[in-house]
Amino acid sequence: MLNEIVVISGKGGTGKTTLVAAMLAYLDSVVVADCDVDAPDLHILLHGEEIYKSEFSGLQRPTIDKETCISCGLCHEHCKFNAITEGIDLLRSKCEGCSLCAYICPTKSITMQDAVVGTIYHRSIANGDFVYGRLIPGEETSGKLVSAVRQKAKQLAHQKEIETMIIDGAPGIACNVIASITGASQVVIVTEPTVSGLHDLQRVYELVQRFRVKATVVVNKSDLSDEGLQAIRNYCHEEGLLLALEIPFNRQIVESISALKLPPEGAPEFYRTLHFEKFMQSIGAL
Amino acid sequence: MKIAVPAKGMTKADMADDRFGRAAYYVIYDSETKEVYGVENTAKDEVSGAGGQAVRLLDKEGVKVTLVPEVGPKALQAFKAFDIKAYTYGKDMTVEAAIEEYEAGKLQIVETESHDGHHGLRRA
Amino acid sequence: MKIAILSGKGGTGKTTLSMNLAYMLKHAVVVDADVEEPNLELFLKGHVERTLPVFKSYPVIDENKCTLCGACGDFCVYNALLPARKGVLIHKELCHDCGGCAVVCKQGAIHYEDRSIGTLTERKVLDYQSLYTGRLSVGEVSGVKIIETLKEIVAEEPFVLIDSPPGTSCATVAAVEDVDYAILVTEPTPFGLSDMKMVVEMLQNMSIPFGVVINKAGIGDDSVTLFCEINNISILGEIPFSKEYAAVYSRGGLLAEERSEYQDYLREMIKHFPLDIAEDAVGGDR
Repeated sequence: MLNEIVVISGKGGTGKTTLVAAMLAYLDSVVVADCDVDAPDLHILLHGEEIYKSEFSGLQRPTIDKETCISCGLCHEHCKFNAITEGIDLLRSKCEGCSLCAYICPTKSITMQDAVVGTIYHRSIANGDFVYGRLIPGEETSGKLVSAVRQKAKQLAHQKEIETMIIDGAPGIACNVIASITGASQVVIVTEPTVSGLHDLQRVYELVQRFRVKATVVVNKSDLSDEGLQAIRNYCHEEGLLLALEIPFNRQIVESISALKLPPEGAPEFYRTLHFEKFMQSIGAL
Repeated sequence: MKIAVPAKGMTKADMADDRFGRAAYYVIYDSETKEVYGVENTAKDEVSGAGGQAVRLLDKEGVKVTLVPEVGPKALQAFKAFDIKAYTYGKDMTVEAAIEEYEAGKLQIVETESHDGHHGLRRA
Repeated sequence: MKIAILSGKGGTGKTTLSMNLAYMLKHAVVVDADVEEPNLELFLKGHVERTLPVFKSYPVIDENKCTLCGACGDFCVYNALLPARKGVLIHKELCHDCGGCAVVCKQGAIHYEDRSIGTLTERKVLDYQSLYTGRLSVGEVSGVKIIETLKEIVAEEPFVLIDSPPGTSCATVAAVEDVDYAILVTEPTPFGLSDMKMVVEMLQNMSIPFGVVINKAGIGDDSVTLFCEINNISILGEIPFSKEYAAVYSRGGLLAEERSEYQDYLREMIKHFPLDIAEDAVGGDR
């Protein structure tokens, strides 16, 4: 059975991608997917050959044929997203692709056509395969791109009979995250000992519970605040959540990333003292 | 009576899929004529509501029973609305094995009457 | 005058900068448009003046009129309606509220009703300043409607600071749309640079003038500075990395209140705003 581990964080910047990068250093054969399609970062660290790249169309958008358009204004009146101007021009960033304009147009001057909203990449890396997506800035349907990236990664895992798949999920609690965790084996929630870190952990865990997926918590920068750390420990205890790892702040981690190295390569001793291997075992990845 | 199984291919020898709405194909078996054929799941790449659309597709094929792995609340509602019975099978089995277990009465029926409803959360 | 504070990735210090600018610019009305993880009120506290639900519409079918023709289901690209044998199943949370199904229904069997997808809270914080917080309910897929409602509320306010969602998704576009100026907060790491580039692309596409604030300066490298110089992007200021600052944040403290040198960083930053923005900003300077 494929162990599909999704790393998420309600709050951004808690070190989700850094944790994923650290996990990768411990695995011999893995499929990894970066589903943070708004701000994909993992590809900066994971060097390798690009095998495949394809444009992704998540929705259809109208094309207006100005030759046959009689400027009756029906499309403009009916569009609830204000995506068609009075002059019958499409405001791309506002269009959600509902196709009502094409339906309502009396002269059939509007047709719906596939719109590219992002790109999916596949790279071969030292210990396996890496799939990531990139949304065109400001585009709609990022949830669908997330699903497509995961699907591609899953296909590879099945084809190559790889047992561990790590997903760098999206931050927040909306469509991207839902698409990241739907049907996963388990999630790892990364947080930090701050008031906002706890608040966001609570919100994202509330979401995770609805999917009945097993969850494990990792606290990053755990030495920022004793009080904050205690609050997170208490919360995990009350909820019966496993707090599997507390990682104190360490400059070497930032330096490794800046040198484009996986953190355990830049700070091997630090990860040894953390017993990172034990953490990997606790989530069934080793 | 037509029985459908979500599958990775179009024949009885293919593995049954571990997802219902996002499966690539459905293998349909007619228990009277013993005829078997596959259909492509045109709903599998839908952003949302794939399960419901898949049920609609199976209804058009005249399917009355579906064997399912896990199933989300939306697909359950849809099974109920289309009067299709759903039975669950275990992991890692072929379509043929799943059908055999169904015919031997070994599979459990999915309760579609009541659901506490995490409506719509299975699919984003 | 509206200023958006945004970042390519979470955790760069966007919310920290927002709350401290709010403290310095006491005539500012503050909007927390990061509706998935609204954190400003954890720091600015104050007291609640009012809380309102935010509604979104969904279709309701009159079963006496419905002939189960299936036209609504064929039309809806979001699969919010599923015409079945006994009736039409409605998935409220999938509805984008485009209004199309009521148009295509020849029987006139469809009307719309409202459901709550989150809340909007007004607080009085600091110097009796208004803080408007949007909060998306857990399990909802999109916060765009809440952001749009927030922006309607502050439309007539003379000076508004908007803490925007991170990244470049449709929610970010909704938050920064028609602002006069944007402050892009980044950190000097390879991840920070990569994410920031996506926001730069988005802001340029939207023709919104902006400047960059480098947070946690001193960790990482100088690639962000180089990128800004090459691309002629104005750097408004740098705030050095400090574990003490992080500790103040972690317990919910306000840096500008506790540390005088932090006020100096902000004053220096405001001086680097374009002239008209700076004039409006200092209208109520501390």
